[in-house]
Amino acid sequence: MDLSFESVTKFYGPVIGVNNISFRVEPGVTGLFGANGAGKSTLLKLASGQLKPSLGKVLIGDRPAWSARAKRDFGYSPDANSFYESMSGREFVLTMTKLYGYSRRESHERTEQALEAVGMTDRAGRRIAACSHGMRQRIKLAQALVHDPPILLLDEPMTGIDPGGRREFKRLLAKLAEQGKTILISTHILDEVQDLARSMLLIARGRLIAAGTLEEVRRQIENEPLTVEVAAPQVQLLAACLIESGVVSALQINGNSITVRTAQPADFFRTLNDLVCQRQVEVQKLEVLDAGADAVFGYLTGSSSE
Amino acid sequence: MRLLRACLALIGLSFRRLWWSTNTLMLCFPLLGCGLFVLAATFRRQAYSGSQGFERFTEDVVLVLFSTFLLPIIALAYGTSSIGGDREDRTLLFLLMRPIPRSMILVSKYLATLPLVLGLTMGSFACYCGMAGSAGREAFFAFWQPILYLSLAYTSLFHLFSVFFRHATILALIYSLFMEWMLGAMPGVIKRLAVNFYGRSMMIELGNLDVPPNVLFAPVSAEIGAYSLWGITLGGLLLSIIAFGSREYHDLT
Repeated sequence: MDLSFESVTKFYGPVIGVNNISFRVEPGVTGLFGANGAGKSTLLKLASGQLKPSLGKVLIGDRPAWSARAKRDFGYSPDANSFYESMSGREFVLTMTKLYGYSRRESHERTEQALEAVGMTDRAGRRIAACSHGMRQRIKLAQALVHDPPILLLDEPMTGIDPGGRREFKRLLAKLAEQGKTILISTHILDEVQDLARSMLLIARGRLIAAGTLEEVRRQIENEPLTVEVAAPQVQLLAACLIESGVVSALQINGNSITVRTAQPADFFRTLNDLVCQRQVEVQKLEVLDAGADAVFGYLTGSSSE
Repeated sequence: MRLLRACLALIGLSFRRLWWSTNTLMLCFPLLGCGLFVLAATFRRQAYSGSQGFERFTEDVVLVLFSTFLLPIIALAYGTSSIGGDREDRTLLFLLMRPIPRSMILVSKYLATLPLVLGLTMGSFACYCGMAGSAGREAFFAFWQPILYLSLAYTSLFHLFSVFFRHATILALIYSLFMEWMLGAMPGVIKRLAVNFYGRSMMIELGNLDVPPNVLFAPVSAEIGAYSLWGITLGGLLLSIIAFGSREYHDLT
């Protein structure tokens, strides 16, 4: 099942929250990235039917996200940490399960399954007020999983979880994605889902500025500046050749390596290739320092502001 | 069937949350205070015995203490908290993310409130009447209907408050303690904006009471009073359903 935005705009009075956004999220993990205030939360609120679009449509399958029926088809884990604090984790998840209208027995079964899936079976008896941030995140995920929805909307789900917990969390999400679930994860820390997300949505100032796989997004910004570290025994010669070629905008020598900033990545790699092949300049190491999603996001939001 | 089960679960959840809330604890004080007042008046001053006992009990307890103070306080304590409590605790989001239509969420919340409001208003009214002896018993059988209708109307009205306002309890308190009193004291038809006016009108007719020696007070008949209170109940509920069904809450997270 897909989640789709069709020319969605959302106004908050005179302020525009999201601006003419269209995309479709298909099965697998999709990362929704954006800085604070970029419109991520608005987008997720629209996707979860908390808000109605001012223009356009938000569809869960073929139903508007705002409708009650659509809520059977997605599970939502909010960013906020508000619960019925006096309940235990198990009671909370069970209560949420009952609100789907399952019988008493089925509610108990689904609650235990969801708690087991998030690794909380043995700790769910603790009062939520006494739970750590990481445990609260797991409880939030468990309540989103109880009805086995085809779509999962997760708002900053890994905040406050320790590194070990994150690995488990990622494994769980990968498993759910393998089962064919559509998972949209909102985060501002790209490392969290960079290795997990099959596609990315980058949002800045209320606009969708790039969408696709990390490589596709990278291609979309091929002409954006890039920082590369090159280690070479003849570092002075390499630096001189690169400056002479005119493809670098900045260059710094650090012992046996140089850090190069280029505005023409394609020309830079071609030039470097020529230097290695034709002038026999030895290169020991070549590392693109900012090819990660963080850098892509940085470029895009930077270019967007221009 | 699933929807019915979900609504029943929501009613149960809301009822438990309201009952085990500080509101219940806070209500004990005015309830106890009123009880002590009735006890003192009954046993120490013999205020409600004799031929004028019924009138005095009606004036002191039913009209002043109960219907204009205690009843609205009970209704607002639970009426504003059913939706407002979840809004303030930011747990409303979890309810809105379930496949229950918003209209049904509101109706379920209203239904969860009723046993508490009606239990406390009718229960405490019966207790006070019982404590006051024969005058009290006479008052109970004469006024249980307006008390019931007022409870329903106030509960519905305060639900409407909680749908619209984040801090509905404060506003409802100001409304019930000041606006109702002010509107009720206004001349002509303006006083008909006060919910309590219709309850009072019903009581005057059902208790065969003299119209207050105040030319500004022109009660409606008990029948019109009853219809008006039902109208406020159903109208308030309908408006709440419509508003809650279409309203976007930006303060959920």
